[in-house]
Amino acid sequence: MAGLRRWFRLPASPIEHSVEGRAFVFSGFAVAVLAIVIYGQDYVVPLLGVVAAGCGHVVSYRERNRKRTFWRQAFLAALVFGALFYVIADSSLALFGGVLPQANFAILLVAITSFDLKTRRNCYSSLWISLALLYLAAVYAWDYAFGIIAALWTLCLAGFWLASHLRRINAQVRGPARAIVVMVVGALVAGGVSFIAVPQPSGVPISPLVISLPNFTAFRGDIESPALPLVQLAGDPSGATSSVDLHYRGRLGDAPVMYVRTGAPAYWRGLVFDTYRDGAWTASQHGYRELPPYVPPRLLPAAPPDNLGTFVQTVRVLRPLPGVINAAYPVESLYAPVAALREDAYGTFHTPDQLKPGQTYSVVSYLPNLTPAVLRGADPMDQEHLDAYPDHYDVYADPDPVSMRARDLASEVARGAANEYDQVMALTTYLQRNYRYTLNLPPVPAGKDPVDWFLFDVKTGYCEQFATAEALMLRSLGIPARLVTGYATGDYDPVLNQAIVREHDAHAWVEVWFPGHGWVPVDPTPGVSPLAATRFPNHWAGGGIARLLPHLTIGAPAAALGSLGALAVVPVAIAIAVAVVLAYAWLRRRTWKPRHKMQPGESDLLRLYERVQRRFSRRRAPPETPLEYQHAMQSQLLGDVTQAVNEGVYAGRWPDAKRVRELTERIS
Amino acid sequence: MPWLFLLAWWVLALVGAAAVYAGWNRSGLSLRLAVRNATPAAGSPADELPDHVLRRGPVPAPVFEGDGFGIEIALGAARGERGPVWAAGQIANKDVSAGTGLVPKAGWSRVKVFRAARRGPVSASGWRIHTSDPLGFFGGVRRAADSEIALILPRFASLAARRQTRELEASVAAPRAGSGNELFGIREYRPGDSLRRIHWRSSARHGELVVREYEPPGVQTLGIFVDPNPVTTEIADQVARIAASEAWDCLRDGGRVVIWGPGLEPTQSPRDLWGLLEWLARYPSQAPTNGEASPPASGEVVMVTSSANPALIEAVDEARRRGTRVRGWVIGDAELDIDAPMERVGTAWPV
Repeated sequence: MAGLRRWFRLPASPIEHSVEGRAFVFSGFAVAVLAIVIYGQDYVVPLLGVVAAGCGHVVSYRERNRKRTFWRQAFLAALVFGALFYVIADSSLALFGGVLPQANFAILLVAITSFDLKTRRNCYSSLWISLALLYLAAVYAWDYAFGIIAALWTLCLAGFWLASHLRRINAQVRGPARAIVVMVVGALVAGGVSFIAVPQPSGVPISPLVISLPNFTAFRGDIESPALPLVQLAGDPSGATSSVDLHYRGRLGDAPVMYVRTGAPAYWRGLVFDTYRDGAWTASQHGYRELPPYVPPRLLPAAPPDNLGTFVQTVRVLRPLPGVINAAYPVESLYAPVAALREDAYGTFHTPDQLKPGQTYSVVSYLPNLTPAVLRGADPMDQEHLDAYPDHYDVYADPDPVSMRARDLASEVARGAANEYDQVMALTTYLQRNYRYTLNLPPVPAGKDPVDWFLFDVKTGYCEQFATAEALMLRSLGIPARLVTGYATGDYDPVLNQAIVREHDAHAWVEVWFPGHGWVPVDPTPGVSPLAATRFPNHWAGGGIARLLPHLTIGAPAAALGSLGALAVVPVAIAIAVAVVLAYAWLRRRTWKPRHKMQPGESDLLRLYERVQRRFSRRRAPPETPLEYQHAMQSQLLGDVTQAVNEGVYAGRWPDAKRVRELTERIS
Repeated sequence: MPWLFLLAWWVLALVGAAAVYAGWNRSGLSLRLAVRNATPAAGSPADELPDHVLRRGPVPAPVFEGDGFGIEIALGAARGERGPVWAAGQIANKDVSAGTGLVPKAGWSRVKVFRAARRGPVSASGWRIHTSDPLGFFGGVRRAADSEIALILPRFASLAARRQTRELEASVAAPRAGSGNELFGIREYRPGDSLRRIHWRSSARHGELVVREYEPPGVQTLGIFVDPNPVTTEIADQVARIAASEAWDCLRDGGRVVIWGPGLEPTQSPRDLWGLLEWLARYPSQAPTNGEASPPASGEVVMVTSSANPALIEAVDEARRRGTRVRGWVIGDAELDIDAPMERVGTAWPV
């Protein structure tokens, strides 16, 4: 037992006497708090925390040589428990306003423990908590300015290392300014370049890594099939709409509605509508199933047959949104910090209440690999697929809502298409080429069918018109199709792997049923790729940058390379290699000796000496000196070579190349 | 989370840059250890010695046992400023270290003060120059050669005031210094000196009047025979102090001094106080003679011993048989069968 205790006991940490080192520790904390203030928009506790931590550092430094007293330790422990009570009360009951309880807890923890920073290990603990604070702020940081804060914190860390090290050798905090500046700036530049150029592995941030205030509101009533902000009709308690009416559309502004941190730009799918009557889409299925906040893969459908793996999206809501989980589909797993989730009949996930600003959730989605060749191979008459076709999907093939003119147009456009995929693409490209996209559309005249008005009169429209026309015309051809609403990718930043989704990114597109592949997103809106709902996941930030320059051919290969998940091992391999090199250097540093540099003629002469020995019947025995060997062999050439070797070894006078050549010629 | 990757890359790049820095930092550095100053303790000979004697002493100042002294640890950077650098090792068997974040091109030094020095050589051993990057991740070590950086001289004081010594000396006619025929050297001009003795060339060189000094007639050489094997360090220190005091009294009166011990090489410069003190500072650890060196001839012999060393007794007897005046100092309770005046003392100083 005693041995076990010894094994687990930490080695004693020295008292940190460096006031500069402590100043850097405090500065690191202040930088992290600044990040919380800027990006978390939380002010009271951070400011109080910084003031308290400053006082604590002064007290700790003055009393660093005193022994810890029981009552002070007990008092500080009580304060830590008080902070723990705060985080629980604020997280679950929002007693203190519910603003960033985790960050505030970390701030209070640093402030309390700063009154007891005696040793270097204590200082490191404070730094690591401020790093956790920085991480919390990073969850909310979506611009490059956060890089400045990260750089400042890195400099504080380096400053603490510097001050602590110099104090350890009883030196003042000074050094070769130019060399240190070169080192630090070089490191920052090299780190930044590496960050941009080296692939970033895509992790799976499930529950512990998602920072969001839990929402314990429970469901009340049934799902009302709310739509996203395309059309405002009567909504459910969550503030969502219940249908999409093509007769009019609300104005959409430029305000951001959510941030999506993702490796793969995708369409963020929301609600699905399958029934079209009198110019309005509704959902016919109102069933749902209850799911826990964390939905593991086993509770969701199996992976689609053609996929490139999975990728992660972390969404932060910026404006009040209907309680719908917008995400790339199909979903492998998800975590949303709410009391309960519901999945409707169309695979969309709902939350019981509105999504409030600050709410975050994470979704892991499959990345479809649906190429034209794959989709052309889908055989709608295949018996297996016919058996798997759900009966209620008949609603998707209902041709009634569409006029005869539209049916004729669909037949005309799809004539000659050999398979379902070609039919879909013929219609899609037809709409994209012959119709114009506009948001300035007058209201549909009274008595006019919105689809016919779009197809044959104005020939301009917005995404709902395109998607509705496509879906209904496909249905007239016997191809199941439905309307999907959600958001387009938004402004995607390939370096930070994030997209800013704005109001005007609200979008509608079509999902087409392909036997054996399920619902495939198709977008007839002009200006986008018909099958480009989800692009390559971008493990390569550099590949993403290249993609910003579409006229360069490097973009596509780099992005394609990035799609290979195995390449994600590259940064890990680099890190391991660097660690191995550093460990090797550390192990050798005490015994490091410069390698012996051979002088001209040395290697040639020693090779010649070896050759001469091989010529004789006996080589020089290990205990035999060269002279003894020479006397034993009785050879003039050996004598000359031996003399040259001895002069080189003992006097450092190695022969020049010419002399070695002469000796070599004699042997030959 | 891209920001964590950015942080990780920066930290990794810092570590990598630190490795490069550490490699750069370890080149062109040198270490020098030297006595910088001495702080005489109460009763130190340094306060008693005249300036012209001190001027001929060790540079920058002689250090006597009991004095304080400063050792300068100097780091040089031949290829431009470097840092952090620190040096650590042992001085007089004490761990000493000094470090700095910056070694300018002109060099950097720090003086470490030692108090109450003990007689003997002060050696610097096991010294290493440590270098690292500013963050302390990667270090480099280079060994410096062991060396002797100071010699702590024995304390001494004039014993002429002691009654017995004065009685012994009363029988010796005190020659007048500077009145002989053999050139002894030069010294500063004192009132009463003949103008003919002024050495004009040396006066011009020194910027003050300097006179020739001639060996007094009839001056005798004092032979100080010391115990070659003192039992303890305290006894050895006392032997050295008494021998130094005797030598000082003799030299001050214009005499010559040879110090010898059985098996030990005798001193070489009979008029050089500092040479004699250096010999005594190393006593009894001098290199032994090759073979049996005979005791030097002298007009008077003073034996300083703590034991009845047969070779020492024989040498003293031989001197007596030759008619040399002999007296002695016995440290401790040793019984000596010598027909000569002996003074018995302990190890306390002054005696």
